[in-house]
Amino acid sequence: MPRFTTVALAAGAALLVRRAVRRRMGTAPLWPMPALDEPVSGYGRGATVPRRVLVTGRATPAEGVVELRLEGERLPSWQPGAHVDLVLPSGLVRQYSLCGDPADSGAYTIATRLVEEGQGGRGGSREVHERLRPGAEVEIRGPRNRFPLAAAPSYVFVAGGIGITPLLPMVRAAEAAGADWRLVYGGRSRATMPYLAEVERLGGDRVTVAAEDESGRPDLAFLAQLPPETAVYCCGPDGLMAAVAAAMPEGREPRLERFTASAPAGGSAFEVELRRSGRTVTVPADRSVLAAVRDELPDVAYSCRQGFCGSCRQRVLAGEVDHRDELLTDAERKDSMLICVSRSAGGRLVLDL
Amino acid sequence: MSNTQPAPVASEHVGLKARKVAFDWQETPLHWVPGDPFTTHTINVLHLLLPAGERWFVHVYKQALPYITDDRLREDVIGFIGQEAVHSQAHDDVLPHLRKLGLDPTPYTAQVDWFFEKLLGDRTLPPGRARRWWLKERVALIAAIEHYTAFLGDWVLNADELDRRGADPTMLDLLRWHGAEEVEHRAVAFELFLHLDGGYRRRARTWALAFSALVFLWQRGVRFFLENDPNLLDPKASFADFVRRGREGVLPSTPAMLRSIPRYLSRSYHPSQEGDTAQALAYLASSPGANGGR
Repeated sequence: MPRFTTVALAAGAALLVRRAVRRRMGTAPLWPMPALDEPVSGYGRGATVPRRVLVTGRATPAEGVVELRLEGERLPSWQPGAHVDLVLPSGLVRQYSLCGDPADSGAYTIATRLVEEGQGGRGGSREVHERLRPGAEVEIRGPRNRFPLAAAPSYVFVAGGIGITPLLPMVRAAEAAGADWRLVYGGRSRATMPYLAEVERLGGDRVTVAAEDESGRPDLAFLAQLPPETAVYCCGPDGLMAAVAAAMPEGREPRLERFTASAPAGGSAFEVELRRSGRTVTVPADRSVLAAVRDELPDVAYSCRQGFCGSCRQRVLAGEVDHRDELLTDAERKDSMLICVSRSAGGRLVLDL
Repeated sequence: MSNTQPAPVASEHVGLKARKVAFDWQETPLHWVPGDPFTTHTINVLHLLLPAGERWFVHVYKQALPYITDDRLREDVIGFIGQEAVHSQAHDDVLPHLRKLGLDPTPYTAQVDWFFEKLLGDRTLPPGRARRWWLKERVALIAAIEHYTAFLGDWVLNADELDRRGADPTMLDLLRWHGAEEVEHRAVAFELFLHLDGGYRRRARTWALAFSALVFLWQRGVRFFLENDPNLLDPKASFADFVRRGREGVLPSTPAMLRSIPRYLSRSYHPSQEGDTAQALAYLASSPGANGGR
């Protein structure tokens, strides 16, 4: 009966296929689906969880600087360069680099310089100095690390004043790893430079101190002759970071930690060119890039309008971005921005829109 | 024909917004349903599928925005996009923790990435009809998948047995925050599908595709986790295990899942007929991870 033969053949073939598939999957369980060469998922962004910590120690490591010890239960581990968000009693949120010992899992140490309102302060450091006394409870988020220390055979650290805070754990780590390092530490006067004694003790003649009232600004000319394997880390005032970037050999960039001012509403007006649609919009001081772009392109995607969901992320073709989101990684910040909160850091932005 | 029109329940509509969340995984053990790796890993498959899957939802919906002519639906879709984007990130944040506990998810998630980014990605299509067809097809697929996410969301909000077994509170909070938002926005995907196309044949076809893909990926994910779990010696799993857990209430029950199939395929289906928005909002208002819904 031909029908019977067909059925039998089909069943036999099915059994063979099943056996072959099983055997194949026995050796490679995820066969036969292909995988994306560079997986996107699986790395997380480490959303920052709020935690209550207790101020248990307060010291004055230099004039105008207070150091706080923040104790908490089961604090997450961190690496040199990390910072925490401090939610101050008034609700202000400020970022401070961790400058203690990463091995101390019971407490974080931060240090902050008092910046008076007349000098551009916006009340955060004043609140830290006046209200965070031992016994006070405060909320922190993080830590996060936007300034990680990559393994390198040699390092140059350039600190300006309170900018020593993220670099201090790096110096200690470089020393512990037996790496070749040197530190250039600038400040207004020795009395205002925190942790000076410690770094001098640690580094001896590898530490160059440039106090403005003694020797003026630090000499950075040596950076031009740096061997390619030396990594340069800098944290300090904008002027110092610009000077370091300018002194580096052609085509090389220092790793910088900016004192990020957490998003004040608005800013100044600037222009945004939408390259693909060939239009240019002006973003007034009191509106977001998103709002201005939507006038021209009503179908541009967005959602939370607070810089955390990422729906409005756009590719940046040119221009300096003042990133005010809480989502993008440094790699993503290189060529994209969240247009709902981030703005121009000065000058025109060009978006791929 | 009035009884064959999908009828939304008006009282179930709420304005949608993305909520900022944070979950602390430090204390979550590998087997977060104590002593029950099968249940743990069956639910863990969510963390494998959702990061890429919900990113894909967002990607597709951004392309659908220009075709929406109804303002309220547009607002809903915009809220939906933000919620899905945050879901994707929140589940992705669990994966490094699993890796730290000795269970590297990357071999599997790289395949899920391929599935959503390449297989279901934009393809190289001529603008016009072909591109619109592929967009509608994917919007319909999302509507079918959202039928199940809403089903699972409703289930997890009521899965008291997981609390009784001492399941990890952070993981339960993640699942219930996510589930509650799925219940909250459960009508959006279907309404967008109705708005752009709504054809019954497409609904049935994409349901069949979505359902088979989910079953295929899910059983594969459970087996992947069980086989690679460093703490398990005998990684056996069977459909019977699933049915039994469903009866015990730590996983969705098989009969309830089967009953949800004809509901989606009914011509008068509308997602607002299932689930309970008030319960979802009540959970969101108290969820620690969602900061009390603020």
